Amino acid sequence: MNKPLFQIVFEDNTNFNGGDYQKTKWLEISTDKKIRTLFYLLPTGDYIGLGGYERFYHMVECTKDVTGDKAGIQNLEFDYIIGQKKDYTTIYQIDMKTGCINVKDIKNDDEFLKKLNPNFWR
Amino acid sequence: MATALNVRVNYVDATHTYSGHTSDYITMDLVNDYFIWSKTLADLMTHEPTSDELNAAAEIIDPALAVTVAKCLLMDYSHDVGGSYYTHLIQGMGLNNQYVYCFSFDGATATEPQLEAWDTSAHTTHAKNVLGIATPANSMIKGVCTTAALPGFPWAGTALAGASNVLLLNAALGALTIAKDLYSNLKIVIPAAYTTPAAETFVLTVRYTYV
Repeated sequence: MNKPLFQIVFEDNTNFNGGDYQKTKWLEISTDKKIRTLFYLLPTGDYIGLGGYERFYHMVECTKDVTGDKAGIQNLEFDYIIGQKKDYTTIYQIDMKTGCINVKDIKNDDEFLKKLNPNFWR
Repeated sequence: MATALNVRVNYVDATHTYSGHTSDYITMDLVNDYFIWSKTLADLMTHEPTSDELNAAAEIIDPALAVTVAKCLLMDYSHDVGGSYYTHLIQGMGLNNQYVYCFSFDGATATEPQLEAWDTSAHTTHAKNVLGIATPANSMIKGVCTTAALPGFPWAGTALAGASNVLLLNAALGALTIAKDLYSNLKIVIPAAYTTPAAETFVLTVRYTYV
């Protein structure tokens, strides 16, 4: 059985499990509950545990070639899990080809965050 | 479900949107269909063009003037649109037309979709002649976002190559909050007296995000 893409524990001790890369279920996470801990699946099969954030964001970055020998195939490029605290935001960028994780802290008014669809914060 | 993308080309009237005139567009079978950039290749061919036919119809480098490749045709592998035709001229390519290349997203995205050009499907290099030999500003592939407005004429566009020279497809308005059709116009401009004639392929790719 495939592991869920993420596992969430809310402040009220209830849980929610995500799906897979094609149907992540991120938008099914309740907006009425605060996330206490989020465990996110890594390409290695392990989970990274994130806690202490005010809110979280998630997105999958993909490409679809219009021309060339692999045209039409949706390629997963990067996976992002983003945690925001009062003063700064931490971006965990997972390279789906190499499995490497790039971690970066940015200010909450960074242009990167302003360009995100605001409806996807949880 | 993950947001899906369909790529369509207008082969009838480039003043018509896809939503208003779906029959003006061919939805590309990206695995089998492809673009042919050519000077004289015929519209509505009843067979897939051969290498000899493509070479005979190729654009010619001008010693004094930059040349915009005259035509972009869709090579329709299924040849089942309007008769048994393999080639369809894409209307409005390089001109002051808004609805030429259409990128249809069936849901929201987390960031603004963008069009990129690379040497290969690895998306790591842009060293070919057509892509400016690793100098993105010199790429011969020019793109302009027409989602919100006509491009004007003549339009210079953005030279597309690599990760630095990309084309935002939602008119820099940001992520898609709902399903939406985005548009661009594209052209290939060969510099005057370019010294390396070549038949090159390149990879156009759309980069987008979903949750």
